[in-house]
Amino acid sequence: MGTFRLPPEVEAVFREFRTCEFTTVNRQGQPLTWPTEPFYDAPAGRLIVTSSIAFPVKAYNARRHPQVAVFFSDPTGAPLTEPPAVLVQGDATTSELVDDPPWSYAMFKESILRQPRARSFVSNPLARRLFTFQFQRLAIFVQPRRILVWPRGDMGQIPTELEVRYVE
Amino acid sequence: MWNKRLIACARAYPSGVLTIVEDSGYPLSVRCVAEFDDARELILFPALPPDVVGRREAACLLFHRHNADMSGQRELLIKGELREEAGVLIMRPGDFLTGSGRQDTDRMPYAGSPLDILRYMMLGRRKARQYLAKRGKPWTPRPWGKMLRYLDEP
Repeated sequence: MGTFRLPPEVEAVFREFRTCEFTTVNRQGQPLTWPTEPFYDAPAGRLIVTSSIAFPVKAYNARRHPQVAVFFSDPTGAPLTEPPAVLVQGDATTSELVDDPPWSYAMFKESILRQPRARSFVSNPLARRLFTFQFQRLAIFVQPRRILVWPRGDMGQIPTELEVRYVE
Repeated sequence: MWNKRLIACARAYPSGVLTIVEDSGYPLSVRCVAEFDDARELILFPALPPDVVGRREAACLLFHRHNADMSGQRELLIKGELREEAGVLIMRPGDFLTGSGRQDTDRMPYAGSPLDILRYMMLGRRKARQYLAKRGKPWTPRPWGKMLRYLDEP
């Protein structure tokens, strides 16, 4: 699909927010939103979230109902001043995260750097063995279709809708 | 059903994330202030963005927080139905869900006691075994040496 063309403040949100609120829709049409660690795969123009194979519901939901949303509204920990809130509505595809694609290394590094205590955990072979399920993951790839932006996170304002443009 | 303990947890948050599903099929989330009516066992939203006002449908309300270094994680999701009453959007809660599965705290297992972590480990291992049994073949081992070396690369 190619790379996004985004305003820098929106791209900064994708890169720097520690969590997003990720929504899937279940079989009954019920939305389910959980805080999730996002990864911005800029070269591919997509957002990626993952879930452990032990807790695969969001991946199953996304497979059945590919319309999902990734909301960035909690800037805690992000080195940004008055960032906007950003809602991405997109189409999801899912796959097992096996064969360790190159982006998965970048995602792993980003995650560990943001959680300093996790470094000793992943460096400990016993911890890795006991919690193997934490590292057996399903990837959910979100191709944005519509992006809404609330400047400074002010939800009292009408959001700006960005045209989603890809550059080949 | 109203869960007094988890409602007390929800009251500690300045705002939550309310999500509905638009007619297009895509979810729509907004961050908003929620008020809690214990007597009527309802959640009220006194001020909402225009996209959500007037909706009557299944919705969910998420409260979560974490510290800057991602420690101290808490999360609580309330499923329910939206409807309008006397010009105010309200939600009648159905289920209360937490990341740990507990019904008395929104604290995530790894932010809790060693017993919480042990329970989480056992649950995760059991659920992963179920997934792998359905899959019918083992998961490829992760290349830990390469992954750990990558952490130290500039």
